[in-house]
Amino acid sequence: MKGWFAPLLLALGLALAQSQQPIKIGALFTLSGNFAGYGKSGSQGAQLAAEEINARGGVLGRPIQLIVVDDQGNPDVGVREARRLILQEKVDFLFGIDSSSVSLAVAPLTDEYKIPLVVTHAATPNLTEQCRPYVFRTSNNARMDSWAAAALAATLPVKRWANIGPDYEFGRVSWQDFITRLKQLRPDVEVVSEQWPRFGSTDYASFITALTRARPEAVFSTLWAGDMVIFARQAKQFGFFNQVRYFMNPVGAALEVLGPLGKEAPEGLLVSARYWFLYPNTERNKAFVEAYRKRFGEYPSYNAEEAYAGLHMLARAIEKARSTQADAVKRAFEADGGLVYEAPEGRKWMRPEDHQVFEGLVWGYTKHTPDYPFAILERMRIVPATDTIYPTRCKR
Amino acid sequence: MDLGFYALQLLTGLAYASTLFLLSVGLSLIFGAMGIVNFAHGSFYMLGAYFLYAFTRGQADGFWGGLLLVLATGFVIGAFVERIFIRRVYARPEEYQILLTYALLLIIEDLVRFFFGTGYRAFPMPQAFAGPLFLFGTPFPSYYLFLIGLAAISALLLGLFLYRTRLGAWIRAATQDREMLEALGVNVPLLYTVVFGMGIALAALGGAALLPMQAATPGMAVDAVINAFIVVVIGGLASVWGALLGAVLIGLVQALGVLFLPEWAMVFPFALMALVLLLRPWGLLGRPPAVRT
Repeated sequence: MKGWFAPLLLALGLALAQSQQPIKIGALFTLSGNFAGYGKSGSQGAQLAAEEINARGGVLGRPIQLIVVDDQGNPDVGVREARRLILQEKVDFLFGIDSSSVSLAVAPLTDEYKIPLVVTHAATPNLTEQCRPYVFRTSNNARMDSWAAAALAATLPVKRWANIGPDYEFGRVSWQDFITRLKQLRPDVEVVSEQWPRFGSTDYASFITALTRARPEAVFSTLWAGDMVIFARQAKQFGFFNQVRYFMNPVGAALEVLGPLGKEAPEGLLVSARYWFLYPNTERNKAFVEAYRKRFGEYPSYNAEEAYAGLHMLARAIEKARSTQADAVKRAFEADGGLVYEAPEGRKWMRPEDHQVFEGLVWGYTKHTPDYPFAILERMRIVPATDTIYPTRCKR
Repeated sequence: MDLGFYALQLLTGLAYASTLFLLSVGLSLIFGAMGIVNFAHGSFYMLGAYFLYAFTRGQADGFWGGLLLVLATGFVIGAFVERIFIRRVYARPEEYQILLTYALLLIIEDLVRFFFGTGYRAFPMPQAFAGPLFLFGTPFPSYYLFLIGLAAISALLLGLFLYRTRLGAWIRAATQDREMLEALGVNVPLLYTVVFGMGIALAALGGAALLPMQAATPGMAVDAVINAFIVVVIGGLASVWGALLGAVLIGLVQALGVLFLPEWAMVFPFALMALVLLLRPWGLLGRPPAVRT
């Protein structure tokens, strides 16, 4: 009896110790500089999800340990921190990432170390079009935003379009995707002006007057963060929003934009964000908003919800894989036509080929109400996920 | 109609130039008189914006009082920083001033983040400027005219001060020969405190005056100081008029550039700077470096 008891005890002990060991997730967010507000929201969303998962007993009986680091929105810093997380902190997964350039720089590490990366904000379509086996994106990307905008724009009774966007990859690619798609849907539209202020500009006056002079009926814009805050304030002073019939911005409904604009936000802008906290009107969403407010004292921005949903979706994949091993998790994400998760914002479906999640998108017109210190969306228009499913070159 | 439009476009360029002038003139003044390259200049510009927000609690009706208070606070802080920190590096190699002012930039950014948070702070348009003016039948923000006026008055007062007062004469003398000035019995350390205070006060005023058209964020300091350096490199680093000329050139090139080459809007200020560096490396109104014997 003695002969086999001791090894059994040892094995049991090891198994127990293993099950107690946390699943380590290294999260990269931009926590300093001009976009620190977005990183803060994202890290808070992930934190809330980790707390919820741990409260119900963790994943595979193991708690989630979230390690949040600041990538400063800088690819070099992002790579350095990601490497440190993998080699020193021994994380099982990389997570988060706000900036597209950081995500593209970090992505090769997933092959090098076989550590999966789940991206929840960075939106360049190129990230998933690289078809890397261990890169997943649980938020929608800029091409989907542009396609959704085009689907909506095609229904508007206007032909003369113009663009004002930040002069870097995101702004340029978004406009290309938007106008190409819109011309497919509505061959009669024409482009009357394109304005490209530097990303991070603080003075838009000459761009606004030049834009107005072209007399567009509708303007598409991907100005975001402080750029959109400052542009909207200056454009309003020029009476710009009274001179164009539609102003569309797929990232304009971010609380990081509407919050600072406060009661000064122009009304009637047709804006979206990857999540809007008042939609959908479901128990699931209301419970999330309530929990988030209770925990952090503010409304969840889109980035908070995307990180929250992303971590839950990753936990779902780990559970399904019964393992944290990269290939098993990859198979879990891809199996059965792609992992589906019911997030507060609605159904997220991961396309197995390119590991890109698709979801319905909510648009609406800005409107002030007595209930909120900032503009909210009214006359909401829902663009179904099927309108955003663009072809991919990835194959599995 | 078209002539009116070009006039309007010129006006937007001048408005942008005004903001650049208020931002960079202090940098020029401080370098000219003291030989200090102040990397933290943009940070004081940012502090001006945040102070206006704090003094008025974000309410537009406190705008005018807040502006004066920012000017005064800017001077006091500038004088304080000169006494406590800057003074210690005059006698040391230039690397020390770069290290010191860069450290100030980082410290101030973190302080602002600590006290005001990471988000954007917007300030409502003061009542006096709430409605747009109509110029050539087009709405034009009256606040831009105020900015142009503020920059013009600042330039005028600064010119009068530098060329019509004894203190101004001393400051100009300091740019030429510090030892001689000291030998003539002028309290140069005190003079430096005053110059630094003035430069910082102007930067803070600029930041505050811009707040109603822009938004304050902890990251704005770095962007601001880069813009300020572009302006003074074009205009000439040690010259107040250089800052004015540099600002106006950038403003106009930007405003007219977006009309004819909108694809290249981002390139204009840098192209202008590169051109100046090639043809007159010391800036349009700067002095070529004297050959020391």
